[in-house]
Amino acid sequence: MTPSDEPLTVTDVRPDDTALRHARRARVLAEMEAADVDVLIVGREGNARYVSGAPRLWTAGSRSFGPGCVMVRATGAIHVLSTWDEGIPDDIPHENLYGISFNTMNFVKVLQNIDGAATARTVATDALTPGFAQLLPMAFPSAELVDGEEMMRRARRVKTSEEIDMIRASVRIAERALAEAEAALVAGTTERQLTGVFMEAMASAGVTTPAAQDVAWITSRDHPWRRANRDAPVAAGDLVAFDAGIVRHGYVGELGRTFRVEAIEVRAEPLANREVSARWDELWDRLLDACRPGAAMSDLLGAYEVTGVQAPPMPVARGLGLGFDPPLVTHALPGTAAAQRFEPGMVLALTAFAWQEGVGAVYGQEPVVVTATGPEPLSTNPFRDPRSSMT
Amino acid sequence: MTQPAGLMTRASTNHIPPEPDLERMHRDRAERVRTLMREQGIDALVLLGNTNVVYATGAIWPLSDSGRANFEQPVAVVLADDEWPHLFSPVQEDDRLRLELPADHIHGPVYLDFDEGVQLFTSQLADLVSGNALVAIDEWTNAMRRERSILFAQDVPVDGGRVISRSKLIKTRDELACMREGLRITERAIADVHARVAPGVRQTDLTATFLRTIFDAGADANILDPIWQVMPSRIADGPWTTTGDIACPLLSTERELVEGDVLWVDTGISYAGFHSDFGRTWIVGREPDARERAQFDKWREIMDAVLDVTRAGATAADLTAAAITAAGGVKPWMPHFYLGHGLGIDSAEMPYVGSDIGEAFDASLVLAAGMVLVLEPIVWDDGAAGYRAEDVLHITEDGWEPMTDYPYDPF
Repeated sequence: MTPSDEPLTVTDVRPDDTALRHARRARVLAEMEAADVDVLIVGREGNARYVSGAPRLWTAGSRSFGPGCVMVRATGAIHVLSTWDEGIPDDIPHENLYGISFNTMNFVKVLQNIDGAATARTVATDALTPGFAQLLPMAFPSAELVDGEEMMRRARRVKTSEEIDMIRASVRIAERALAEAEAALVAGTTERQLTGVFMEAMASAGVTTPAAQDVAWITSRDHPWRRANRDAPVAAGDLVAFDAGIVRHGYVGELGRTFRVEAIEVRAEPLANREVSARWDELWDRLLDACRPGAAMSDLLGAYEVTGVQAPPMPVARGLGLGFDPPLVTHALPGTAAAQRFEPGMVLALTAFAWQEGVGAVYGQEPVVVTATGPEPLSTNPFRDPRSSMT
Repeated sequence: MTQPAGLMTRASTNHIPPEPDLERMHRDRAERVRTLMREQGIDALVLLGNTNVVYATGAIWPLSDSGRANFEQPVAVVLADDEWPHLFSPVQEDDRLRLELPADHIHGPVYLDFDEGVQLFTSQLADLVSGNALVAIDEWTNAMRRERSILFAQDVPVDGGRVISRSKLIKTRDELACMREGLRITERAIADVHARVAPGVRQTDLTATFLRTIFDAGADANILDPIWQVMPSRIADGPWTTTGDIACPLLSTERELVEGDVLWVDTGISYAGFHSDFGRTWIVGREPDARERAQFDKWREIMDAVLDVTRAGATAADLTAAAITAAGGVKPWMPHFYLGHGLGIDSAEMPYVGSDIGEAFDASLVLAAGMVLVLEPIVWDDGAAGYRAEDVLHITEDGWEPMTDYPYDPF
């Protein structure tokens, strides 16, 4: 399904598209076979949706591990934590649904009753808690518990063409909501209010779930990344960074932009003439150049070094997909970045962040898909053009 | 001065100070956590769960989608012999964190879902704890499982999450004051949404108004995709469920409301590190009819019966028994949920009342002053939908005091 085929209005809760589901499941099954995993248990929502194709209630914040979805290699059966069948794909029968529970022993019973649990030799989980580390052996007495997260990362790393379409559609909504927030950016407004404007626009566009709720940031003129109180008013001349991220049908669309608050004295001095702008442009060019298939992801970190731009506090690249998706490229994990290679079909949000004392920071985040010939931006208005022409 | 509404008409609030003392709140918490650690012989707590980190450090940040939140998460380290917790966070220069921590207790970000991140973290941890220290954790990523040096000398690590679960069970007066403000913000937003409910309005439009207003009113984050569920008249007309009972909460879409729709509302926000909870039943475009009013009257009867036995020293089983008797012998709550649940840094936490943990647990759970309870009985009247609402209260020595202050309109 392409974005243009997607109905504008969604009035019922549907499972993910069949082609999308089948392509994803085939990848998971292939990974299970390659790693000789009999049963996969995932708790993370992105992993659970990747396997099941079922939308579930969105809640904010990290979640500790619980058996949200179970896949059995021998039968291909998928079991889902859902008390109802709304949104559940028709290839997951009612008997494979298990309900919300506050009693971990009831989860153990559900797992015990899954065909193949008693004899499973290898059970993979995407995370654990100390509690479930003790309980799972009761359901899988013959099994060794192994890493299922690494397996899911391998499956999810390269997107199917259907997934790229989904992300592109999510980016459209993020762009629309961001435009509303930008229109509300005037002196005197606050980060918290701008967040409210973005959220309202997002929901009005039919999407009620954000990727992040830290939407607006009045960058500091005195410190590279100091955050002020969220209720401090925007002042004329401030560079205000926006992190516009939404989750539509499970897929993240994310982009970052920096806008300047209009003021007569600032108009006299176009941002494009500032040192920070030139450095940002050079950094951005180098980040794009780094996204070549086969190259190491540490080249993204190198782009900051070569341009002499201080490493930012946030990751330089995040994978986009069903929720946040590795790779995570950050100066804090140089070895991890060096060990990973760009491949066609990866979708990344690239972050270019440059700061100048007395001016503030220019922050841009661009979703790109890596192709055989290099990165292709997924937004309709990549950051540079409007910013360069800004006077 | 507005008139008290809902539960507030039944009891007054004397135990909640008008303003929280945040410094005292954090100090009291730190003392509790470290007392529990010493009782269990735990030398260090490593916490990854967002809300556990909020509780242990007092840090506040806008919670993100769980996908990102599981990878880019602040991490807390609490030492039994140090009054200040350590925070490992991406942005250290952040006034919004409202931190009172000494500078040498704030560190750069760590990434515990990556082998390299765990290795770097363990070397930092080695500077804080001795080699034979007992380190408890709340979550165990696969990368952490592979690292056996300091963190996990044991086959299965000690559960550090239980320390926080026990510590947060009883709220201090300052915590109650924060929670009440979070409820007020929620109620202000709900009032705006309520005014907008009409035929032709989409569920997502209600969400748009809710999200705009909570941030304007001071919320830190939304915590739940808001529920404005159009209830079927009969259970059989709704989705199939594992219990054969009502399916709820179902996701909101761009579905347009029509006159006579019975809406079950469920929302919550985060403020000062606490989650709020709100639930009511609304009717779209008309006044409730006689049958719907009878449902509400029955609901009040059940709620009153439960409130009559709610006090410090009562068991959860006392509450469920009162509810069942008032409902004429049936359990007036959804079997996949509960009659009531705790509320605090999490949207649902202990004490659970009437959950699938079981009747023996309910009989053993004794309410204590300072616990916060959300009571959410339902009345289902197959053929005419039903009534559901949630009221938040806190337990006192001689009873309870209301925290929700919102009318039952249009009932």
